[in-house]
Amino acid sequence: MRYFVLIFLPFLSIFLQSTFLSFYSIKGAIPNMLLIFVVFYALLNGKRKNAAIYGFLCGLLEDLYIGRFIGINALALGITAFLIASVEGRVFKENLLVGIITVIVGTIINSVILFLLSLISYKLLNLDTGIFINMWYQSLYNLFLAVPIYAWYFHSTKNGLLRMYGEI
Amino acid sequence: MFRFLKNKYFWIVFLVFIISIAVMVSTATTRNNITIVEKFIRNSFTPLQCGMDDLRSNIGGVSLIWADKRILQNQVAELTEENKRLVFDNQALKEYQLEAKRLQRILDFTNDNIDTYDLVAARVIARSPNNWYKNLTINKGADDGVVQGMPVISYEGLVGKVLSVNKNSAQISLVTDREMAVGVIVQENRETNGIAEGMGDNNQLKMINIPYYSNITVGNVIVTSGLSQIYPAGINIGIVDEINREPSGLLLSATIIPTVNFDVLEEVLLIFDYHPIVEVEDD
Repeated sequence: MRYFVLIFLPFLSIFLQSTFLSFYSIKGAIPNMLLIFVVFYALLNGKRKNAAIYGFLCGLLEDLYIGRFIGINALALGITAFLIASVEGRVFKENLLVGIITVIVGTIINSVILFLLSLISYKLLNLDTGIFINMWYQSLYNLFLAVPIYAWYFHSTKNGLLRMYGEI
Repeated sequence: MFRFLKNKYFWIVFLVFIISIAVMVSTATTRNNITIVEKFIRNSFTPLQCGMDDLRSNIGGVSLIWADKRILQNQVAELTEENKRLVFDNQALKEYQLEAKRLQRILDFTNDNIDTYDLVAARVIARSPNNWYKNLTINKGADDGVVQGMPVISYEGLVGKVLSVNKNSAQISLVTDREMAVGVIVQENRETNGIAEGMGDNNQLKMINIPYYSNITVGNVIVTSGLSQIYPAGINIGIVDEINREPSGLLLSATIIPTVNFDVLEEVLLIFDYHPIVEVEDD
């Protein structure tokens, strides 16, 4: 059941991002639900290796859906998840504020990595710093979504659908 | 110091990284075919997205009940007024049209105005799931005869072109996307040529390669020139908002506000039978 939910969530986020959320963008920025779920997985389930793999696969799904620069989101989300999972043991997860701050930090890390990766493929070199302005709107939007999602995700990880049964 | 080289995970991560970057670079430009995996993923999303679109339009109908009656009455009055004016304009334009057709027949010109094309309407069911790309998904695909590269317009002006086709849906790249470039011309003076490029992050276009001596002014209407061989000539693109001199001093660039509002676009028209005139080069 846990695996089913973990696979279902990225599909749900891409579906919502492409339909419902994209019609309610703030200054052209739409929230990144996929990133929120990956960040929460990394924060609550720990294990850097698992987090990086989960992030990579979620990003790959998005890339395949978009069909351009396949791999860019996969790498960016994988690295973001790895970095977030590195602080996993050192924070007090019961606090909602921790979830919110992690999402903002995750959005920033993700945008910076995307920007750096885009420099490798010269085609996107004309990508200016507009992405960083966009990043702040996106963090703001993510923040609003993060509050209810964290409440659910945290509860569900402790004693709900996403509870771990002694697996690695 | 080099102990990490013996670590198995280091090599796995390294390999994944290299492969990802290779795939990324190779898929950076517009591709002719998409893989089965992508087709499968997109096809599985299409019915859901169609359903969501229906739901949204139904909710729009329901919320109209609560709209203020007075505002609606004002709107109706305004629209009736505008309609009268448009009917009048149309009369005059009909005369011009017939005259133009007559003259074209005499001079043996071919007519390539947009009203001669076979237009098919499609609904926008989804948009790009992230902020980087400007594309739309429509509810017509290979089954309805959509082919990659078809020009897409709306009643207001140029929208973009078909980027990839699935079974029952198709991806459209908007003109505001970074990868897009359209050959354009100033409608008023018919001599200032240029290229309109998408800026990606805001809904504006940049017209480049304008010679410094052109008499382009703010407020000019920009239309497609037909030189890009993807889009027919004479489709509205936008209005000049700002003119800047390039650092070299020999060229000008202009910011264009598109006539199409891409944020609220719900219906588009596909041009099914546009066959560009391709010059045959002699060897």
